[in-house]
Amino acid sequence: MKNHYDVVVIGGGHNGLVNAAYLARAGKKVLVLERRHVLGGAAVTEEVFPGFKFSVCSYVVSLLRPEIIRELDLPRHGLEILPLDGTFTPMLNGDYLWRMNDHARTRREIARHSKLDAEAYYEYGRAMIEMAHFVKPILSMTPPDPTSFNLKGLKDLLFLGRRFQRLPSEDKYNQVQLMTMSAVDFLDQWFETDVLKATMSASGIIGTFLGVRSPGTAYVLLHHYMGEIDGAFRSWGLSRGGTGAISLAIAGAAQEAGAEIRTEAAITQIIVKDGQARGVVLANGDEITADIVSSSVDPRLTFMKMVGPELLPEEFVDDLNRYKYRGSSGKVNLALDALPDFNALPGPGIHLRGAVSISPSVEYMERAYDEAKYGRFSRRPYIDIVIPSLTDPSVAPAGKHVMSCFVQYAPYNLKEGSWDEKRDEFGDTVIDTIAEHAPNIKDIILHRQVLTPLDLEREFGLSEGNIFQGELTLEQLFFLRPAPGWAQYRTPIRNLYLCGSATHPGGGVMGAPGRNAAEKILSDLS
Amino acid sequence: MATSPDIIIIGAGHNGLIAAAYLARAGIKTLVLERRHIVGGSAVTEEIYPGFKVSTLAYSAGPLLNQVAVDLELERHGLEFITPEIRVLALSPDGPSLSLYEDPVRTANELKRFSAADAKIYPEFVESFSRIGRVLAPLESMTPPAIESPTAGELWNLGKVGLQLRGLGKKDAYRLLRWGPMAVADLVAEWFETELLRATVAARGIFGSFAGPWSAGTSSGLLWQAAIDGHAVAPASFVKGGMGGLTRALMEAALKAGAEFRTEAAVERIEINNDRAANVVLAGGEELRARAVVSNADPRTTFLKLIDPLELEPDFLTKIHNFRANGVSAKVNLALSGLPSFKKVDDKANLSGRVHIGPEIDYLERAFDAAKYGDFSPEPYLDITIPSLTDPTLAPPGAHVMSIYVQFAPYKLKDGDWLTRGAELGDTVINQLANYAPDLKHLIVAHQVITPLDLEKIYGLSGGHIFHGEHSLDQFFTFRPLIGWAQYRTPIKGLYLCGAGTHPGGGVTGGPGANASREIIKDFRADRI
Repeated sequence: MKNHYDVVVIGGGHNGLVNAAYLARAGKKVLVLERRHVLGGAAVTEEVFPGFKFSVCSYVVSLLRPEIIRELDLPRHGLEILPLDGTFTPMLNGDYLWRMNDHARTRREIARHSKLDAEAYYEYGRAMIEMAHFVKPILSMTPPDPTSFNLKGLKDLLFLGRRFQRLPSEDKYNQVQLMTMSAVDFLDQWFETDVLKATMSASGIIGTFLGVRSPGTAYVLLHHYMGEIDGAFRSWGLSRGGTGAISLAIAGAAQEAGAEIRTEAAITQIIVKDGQARGVVLANGDEITADIVSSSVDPRLTFMKMVGPELLPEEFVDDLNRYKYRGSSGKVNLALDALPDFNALPGPGIHLRGAVSISPSVEYMERAYDEAKYGRFSRRPYIDIVIPSLTDPSVAPAGKHVMSCFVQYAPYNLKEGSWDEKRDEFGDTVIDTIAEHAPNIKDIILHRQVLTPLDLEREFGLSEGNIFQGELTLEQLFFLRPAPGWAQYRTPIRNLYLCGSATHPGGGVMGAPGRNAAEKILSDLS
Repeated sequence: MATSPDIIIIGAGHNGLIAAAYLARAGIKTLVLERRHIVGGSAVTEEIYPGFKVSTLAYSAGPLLNQVAVDLELERHGLEFITPEIRVLALSPDGPSLSLYEDPVRTANELKRFSAADAKIYPEFVESFSRIGRVLAPLESMTPPAIESPTAGELWNLGKVGLQLRGLGKKDAYRLLRWGPMAVADLVAEWFETELLRATVAARGIFGSFAGPWSAGTSSGLLWQAAIDGHAVAPASFVKGGMGGLTRALMEAALKAGAEFRTEAAVERIEINNDRAANVVLAGGEELRARAVVSNADPRTTFLKLIDPLELEPDFLTKIHNFRANGVSAKVNLALSGLPSFKKVDDKANLSGRVHIGPEIDYLERAFDAAKYGDFSPEPYLDITIPSLTDPTLAPPGAHVMSIYVQFAPYKLKDGDWLTRGAELGDTVINQLANYAPDLKHLIVAHQVITPLDLEKIYGLSGGHIFHGEHSLDQFFTFRPLIGWAQYRTPIKGLYLCGAGTHPGGGVTGGPGANASREIIKDFRADRI
């Protein structure tokens, strides 16, 4: 049968591609179907304005699993990670905090704000690396079902318990705090410099509908140290050619292994017969049959749109309805004629080659969140800026630049008005906020692209604009992601699997869900 | 006392009293020292104006562990509970008020006026919390296991809870796992559509906590309170004669068993000799000796005030410093010449439980927002009781006493301090309440404002925290007060903790006192004391 595949993968995002690559390498006949004209999903590079190439959504690399890079031989397929040097936080009083990848310089810089903090920073880093070692194996583990009496599940739970028990007592203390506390409460114990705490805590809230003082945000601080222990590359980096180059490298690996990839192939329906997935129907009416359907799109699209709730157990539908997306971030991409000039550290310089974080104080961060709670975007948002053209000149015309601004908070559900009405106002707010620190910004903008949570939903198929395909909060992690009892990549429909960020270990350009799901599919097949 | 006691207990709060009673009953010679002129700690009845007696601080039992009441024969010692049929009456600024009764069926009927869907689901909601609560409840009277090297008995007890958890069935077991870390605002939204009901149920999850309903993990507060109470909605569990009636009965029980008491005996420090608690030194210089010292004071007071810091490892000290105990609560107590008329409340009997003000989730969250930035809420969350409605002994005929619990009033203010801003807080609360009961101001005979600073200065609660420290997941069970030190023992030999800073935490449950005394008796009998 010409049109029959072992596995059809829905969605050509990085997880779908990773999933396909592993399945193809295992000898399966695999087809990847992507709705858009470009591959990559949210890990995509697009020439939005002539000559200017943007990592439209995801813009930095930190967590891509090293085993995936190795096993799929991604560097041979064109992956090249360029270091992103440090984080620069301008402050409204004219001062700044600039943490670099150079430990000694960072230490001197922090000491300028607080000698105690400079001491603590090193200790903190060491403690975090210890913690990251503890968490790392959990990322590549299929979550056990804690309610089942199945032997494997019990063994996995026991493994986790033992692992925790064997931690030195200091690490146990830290681990418990990390899992339960707020980023700011946790950092308060280590540091006294407000701007340092504000900038560090920002990583705890990215993509969540939580503030830096909300319990549960401390855990994400760990992710920053995960890269360091992997040793394959620095903790933060940019991919040459934009984030899309990662997806293309993975696609290259998948194709080399024999996978077929089609773009502009939107799926309208997953064919289900007798409770079993049999293939998919494309928007043009074509039917493609397959033994297995593996969906990298989020559960709402997979089940509510492509399967249909009537074919699903009622309880599962309830669980899906409870699964929280509520995107909280937007993106503003700017094509620039020149570089922004920051009051706190004027002129061009290597401080612009890293991330520029608009997070001047803990209170600033918390107030940004407060506005979102009551249904409006922050008047002074947290912004994470990178200018990739400084590191990778191939993405902009000579002398010009691209600037990517990740903006939080921008709640999907606005109390007043719609995002279509508010898009420009949102864009202006972001520019105004940056202009407080770099007044020349308004004069150097050639083009601007504003992506609201609604745009993320429409363009990239991210329900409610959640960049992680569902909030990364404790009640939606591990054996609860995406639904209690369905955290093992299987679904209530036989032969239908999930392999996207809505499964363990969640969002970010990690690739782990795609790889874990492939492992599960292959073990079920054998 | 002619000879030295075996054990000195610092603080005659309800946990100290319970520990004293259990220790004395085990034949251990026990002396209780209380700084104030009355026993009871936070569970006291005080006359705020001639003839008007109020439970000045705690106003409802947690509820008290039934085992404690039975073991210590508290009824025989004069304890009498008053349990009105209504648990909570929730007021709305413009709509009808909502009554939540002890009886779920009656409540469901009441809910029909608001939402048929909510009325239909309410009994299942209550039942589901009871089922899950029954699995968690045994933890309350359990000494948290040692994580490093749990004993066989500890593993057995935990295993039993684990098995019961699995016995709940997949649905409830997953509910428990999923709800624990959730924001309580999300939890109530999954069950109900009536905003007033959502807010009233959610408030229990943030009671006493530096958290708003949108803070992650607040559902665990609700789950835990529901577990020790057996009911998802906050209890109206009053004591005849006010909360002092409870602690008086506890004192009677302890006295009967042979414990001795000294009031107005403030402990200034605990002296350590060879890493062992040796003497207790009172303000004024008097030294008292015992074989062991048990502190009912909170962990910060015990380790940072009563002990020379040089006696503790720096690492332990840092962790105690980091034990979070920033209070958010205040009290306003009123002596009233009559019963205020609440708008939209026809049946006065409905005022005899808790009266809740905090009509929307956003209202509660905004109240919390103020605290984050170091100010008290301009529109605070209020939990009101009028105990004289069910206990006429508390006020002259026709008159009433009203206890108003106020949240959020953060211990640390950004502008000014509590010495100067207490009156302003009192006015804010009374004005807010007067929106619901317009004649209130005309009825006030006397009022008392207890700020977080007063909680610290008068009641000895460090940071003004009514639970001796946040009830957050990182300060719960084996982590309370610190991981490795959750078994009521401390790094100082012969020094124990028995207060709300230990498992199972704050609220008038008696759990910490009962659990601690069990461990102390064990050590005593094994000659480790």
